[in-house]
Amino acid sequence: MLGDGSGFDLVLLDIGLPSMSGLDVLACIRNMASPPLVIVMTADDTSATLLEAVRRQAYRYIRKPFPPSAAVEVVSEAGTPASALSIEVVSARPEWLELVAPCTLEVADRIQSFVLHLEANLPEAVREAVASAFRELLTNAIEWGGKFDPNRKVRISCVRTKRLLLYRIADPGEGFDIDKLRHAAITNPDDDPMAHLQVREEQGLRPGGFGLAMTRSLVDDLIYNEARNEVILIKYLDEGE
Amino acid sequence: MATRMQVIERRIGDVTVLQLIGRLELETGDLILRDTINHLVEEGQVKLVLDMKDVTRLDSAGIGMLVSKYLTVRRAGGTIKLLHPTERTDHLMDITKLTTVFQVFDDEASAVKSFDTAPAQGV
Repeated sequence: MLGDGSGFDLVLLDIGLPSMSGLDVLACIRNMASPPLVIVMTADDTSATLLEAVRRQAYRYIRKPFPPSAAVEVVSEAGTPASALSIEVVSARPEWLELVAPCTLEVADRIQSFVLHLEANLPEAVREAVASAFRELLTNAIEWGGKFDPNRKVRISCVRTKRLLLYRIADPGEGFDIDKLRHAAITNPDDDPMAHLQVREEQGLRPGGFGLAMTRSLVDDLIYNEARNEVILIKYLDEGE
Repeated sequence: MATRMQVIERRIGDVTVLQLIGRLELETGDLILRDTINHLVEEGQVKLVLDMKDVTRLDSAGIGMLVSKYLTVRRAGGTIKLLHPTERTDHLMDITKLTTVFQVFDDEASAVKSFDTAPAQGV
């Protein structure tokens, strides 16, 4: 029915179809000469389904049931098929998701959406903490390491065991010197949580600098490599989470 | 392309209430908040209440812009107060130690009335 797909920019695709899997439809769509963006919506929130959707280059994923506003938000955030950048799937196992992606905020939104759905069975507080921390580190990598350059790539690994979540983000930048972070809130004296803003203003940086301080408080471990262009965050899980 | 944050502006006496709706994040809501408050300060509107209940996501760039505009407004002789922060917003403000900076209110009338009595403070 979609023909060659040239008449559509966007498809909202259910997975549970009467005669075939939506994942097969997704594969057919992606094989078109000019494929539209595909937003997968399904009540099937198993990691196998989600990972297959990622592998087959779904643009976004919405878990049913969802309020109409959620669909409106996802659709309105979507760009055009021509502007959508590919995310390379290196590994799509539930225990080990690894992606290589262009350094843009649009891609960061898409990756965050998939990763959050993978952690759907965690308690809300854990999910929110991990989501915020992951978001901060990913946007740091894309902004400071990748300079928002879609030709530069960030590598993201998400490893899940019974007792921990581990995210590793490697950016294409040269890293940074922790002793030269006067523009970050982590260097502020306890009684002046805004001291770094003066430094940022002097250096012509946008307002901000709270990312590392936030991330440190939200996860259990935050480990940088020597150059500080790769970072691992770890959140330990209680048994049963 | 991320959804743009919406801002609904109301005046109650000489206090301006800004209802923020959507994502207060890098390159989206942060820039809208900056432009909105800069414009208000140019007009001399420096008693501001930010209603945060419909902020769906907040990141460090959004927090950074909140603080930066707080300083802008303080330098202009006014202040910014926060209304109805969500639990998530409250938590992020707490871990960034900004609960010591902003006055936070659970009801609009109290937030607006607080401008009658609040002494001016230096930045």
